[in-house]
Amino acid sequence: MNDAYLSLDHQPDRLVVNIRGQWVFDEVLALEDATASVLPDPDQFVTFQCAGLEEIDIAGAWVLYDRTEQLAELGIKSELVGFKAAHFKFLQHIIDAAAIREYEEPRDPPARSKILHQTVEHLGRATSSHIEDLGEIARSVLDGVRKPSLIIVGETIKQVYFTGVQAIPVVVIITFLIGIVTAHQAAGQLEKFGAAVLVVDLVSISITREMGVLLAAIMVAGRSGSAFAAALGVMKLNEEVDAMRVLGLNPNQMLIIPRILGLVIALPILTIFADIAGIAGGALIAVGSMGISGLQFVERVAFSTDLADFYVGLSKAPVFALLIAMVGTLRGMQVKSSAEELGLKTTMAVVQSIFMIIVADAFFATIFTRMGI
Amino acid sequence: METIISVKNLVNRFGSQLVHDKLCLDVRRDEILGIVGGSGSGKSVLMRSILGLQRPTSGSITVLGKEIKYHKPGPSRCWGVLFQGGALLSGLTVQENVELPIALHSDMPVETRHELASLKLLMTGLSLSVADKYPSELSGGMRKRVSLARALALEPRILFLDEPTAGLDPIAATSFDELITYLHDNLDLTIVMITHDVDSLFGVCDRIAVLVDGGIHVGTVEETIRSDHPWIKAYFGVPRAQRANTVARGFQHE
Repeated sequence: MNDAYLSLDHQPDRLVVNIRGQWVFDEVLALEDATASVLPDPDQFVTFQCAGLEEIDIAGAWVLYDRTEQLAELGIKSELVGFKAAHFKFLQHIIDAAAIREYEEPRDPPARSKILHQTVEHLGRATSSHIEDLGEIARSVLDGVRKPSLIIVGETIKQVYFTGVQAIPVVVIITFLIGIVTAHQAAGQLEKFGAAVLVVDLVSISITREMGVLLAAIMVAGRSGSAFAAALGVMKLNEEVDAMRVLGLNPNQMLIIPRILGLVIALPILTIFADIAGIAGGALIAVGSMGISGLQFVERVAFSTDLADFYVGLSKAPVFALLIAMVGTLRGMQVKSSAEELGLKTTMAVVQSIFMIIVADAFFATIFTRMGI
Repeated sequence: METIISVKNLVNRFGSQLVHDKLCLDVRRDEILGIVGGSGSGKSVLMRSILGLQRPTSGSITVLGKEIKYHKPGPSRCWGVLFQGGALLSGLTVQENVELPIALHSDMPVETRHELASLKLLMTGLSLSVADKYPSELSGGMRKRVSLARALALEPRILFLDEPTAGLDPIAATSFDELITYLHDNLDLTIVMITHDVDSLFGVCDRIAVLVDGGIHVGTVEETIRSDHPWIKAYFGVPRAQRANTVARGFQHE
């Protein structure tokens, strides 16, 4: 097979290698095999006769060059003759130029103590940078609130539309379905005690106090938290954020405040929609399959659920909104270099904001119970 | 002379805007063709059409005898593209970026692939100390060189360059021009480059294609300068173009 690329001609004083055929990129594998078969005696002189060469490219020339280098390492001298193409000269030129610049030796892997050292250092640096970012955002939020500019108002309205108005259908459908699910599950248990009518209490209280706001917040975290991180991340990658800074605009104010304010306005509104839809879902089951009349349902809701329950749910919405918007925008602003980092930060934004929503909800539940609301 | 790229009756229309009106262009083997034109004259659209990244309204394009279809695999083994911003994959290191096309199109052992990729980096005048860096850690000029190394990874027969010297300082731009000429002289390369750099146009290109009024005027550098078309006259009439021309001629006479 090697005959296609070279043939060996043993002469008394030297080994002549007749190079021929196609020495190109696609043949590199075969070429390497072929050149490996050039095995001269230790003190033999090797001549690569290249007159028969049909075609050569850089990859092919490299294989040949590499072999001569290997032979040189073994102390075998070689020469190339009959070269038509300039490739080899070109290659030599590149290698020579490279040799002038010292190749940087790869560093040794760090010792264990060094790894620990680096981890702690990394952790500390990450923490301090988070605190710094948060502080900067908080300061610009305050500035923005003190001197509200018209641009911020316009942007905020846009954000209310994107994060709130556009999310209404999906939030309504989801809470409606959860209302149905809750009613079904409760009916199964409460009918055993002959207390089927309490299903209404359970649905209306759980939806208004917990489920409505929680579902709306989680939905918004998935929709808008990710959108915030991705949008700001791409702006960072495109140097748009830098451009704003240079133009004298504070990107925190222009990008972060409208998103935070927008969400703080949008989420309570979504919560109201969610509460109504959830109770409607409960009503569908109560009236449709449990024989409770519509009037009875409304009376029971009015009797069991105070406005206080509704406010408890609603009061959590701005806090959740703040968490979602802060995490989303902060993660977006942390994107620095690559598209992969953008994906990572977007994922982090969603996961962390949902996590924080649930932690905050548990916190609220404890406080409100202690306060007896 | 052998025709490598042939564009026939290309029409590109965006809404009411006619960018290319029955444009015809032949790129010959082993030449360096410079493409110039005002903003919005469709230089990039032409290049994207040739690369199969843009669906032309009508017309046919053949590259190396193969008809180019929108979003269908073209002769990717045979062409290399240097995009304007470099378009390096940001999640991969410099070395991985250059190795990627080799890994996709060849079954050579990892070690050889590694060596070849390093060689391409050296060819474009980079030092191997950048090999493990990510594109975001490089300067604009270095990114262009890495991108060129990636474009050259598969030993292409055609090289497309989109504004190769834009955004480079004069020293870097000159050495980039020299690099392109050097590669062209030493490898069997056909080069199509979009450029606004008049130094590159006069110093590097064999022929110039001027995109104007939806059509194209192709000619040698001399022919193009002597053209009667008002826009072309204006383009090559500005002082910097004339200076560049004088300088380029001076070099040729020496």
